[in-house]
Amino acid sequence: MTALGQLVYLGDLDLLLREARDEASRLRLRKLGFELAGLERLEAARERLAAAIERRWMVMYERARQRYGRGVAAVRERVCQGCFVTLPTSVASRPGAGETPGLCESCGRVLFWG
Amino acid sequence: MTLGTAPSVLDPSLYIPELKTRRKDAALADLVSLAHQAGVVRGPELLRELLVMRERLGSTAIGKGVALPHARSLTVNRPQLVVARSRRGIDWDAPDELPVTLVLLTLTPGEWGEEAHHAFLGRAAAVARLQRNRQRLLDAASFDDVASVLREVGR
Repeated sequence: MTALGQLVYLGDLDLLLREARDEASRLRLRKLGFELAGLERLEAARERLAAAIERRWMVMYERARQRYGRGVAAVRERVCQGCFVTLPTSVASRPGAGETPGLCESCGRVLFWG
Repeated sequence: MTLGTAPSVLDPSLYIPELKTRRKDAALADLVSLAHQAGVVRGPELLRELLVMRERLGSTAIGKGVALPHARSLTVNRPQLVVARSRRGIDWDAPDELPVTLVLLTLTPGEWGEEAHHAFLGRAAAVARLQRNRQRLLDAASFDDVASVLREVGR
């Protein structure tokens, strides 16, 4: 898995973790017929993944996550879906854009080009 | 938004009339692959891993031959429903232990909130909860027949 892939998966696991830890969320899911059990398994998977990610990216990710609740933001039509700022064309046309981690210059979230 | 009023949610290219596999993980991989080919998903391997992880936290089979795997993920570009059938049935660790013959994969983008994600999932669950709908989905001869069932739910 690439560094960007690891960060995106970590972002998804954190969304799932938040859902699993939130009582109101679990209640809504239970009403639909679903259980979210085995929280410790999810936490362990998150821990393993975080340990495998390069430290500098983890620092950036955690900084944005603690500030905004999410460390990664999707990019759609050159707009960061975290802060809704249009990214400069220089960022979009950068070699490797979309393949390697990059940060939104406005909010600092890791960008994932969808 | 309802399943019936969001045309992009119903896409004929995101329908598998008969899954070839009888394994849950392989079925999820087939569904994700289809969504990837349709441009709904970027990074299909990440989404597949997430769906497998979700299954480990509790089966998404709700009984009566129905599974509703679901994910809210950064890899998903737009809300989407992927529909698949398996006449032979798939072992999905269902609460009633019945094999799954109908799979409705619900995908929402990572930027969606939990409530919106659950509301979308709830609409898919509403389709599957009615025996009449399940039978019509299983008997559907074409995607148009499938879409007509899903549209009815939104009315």
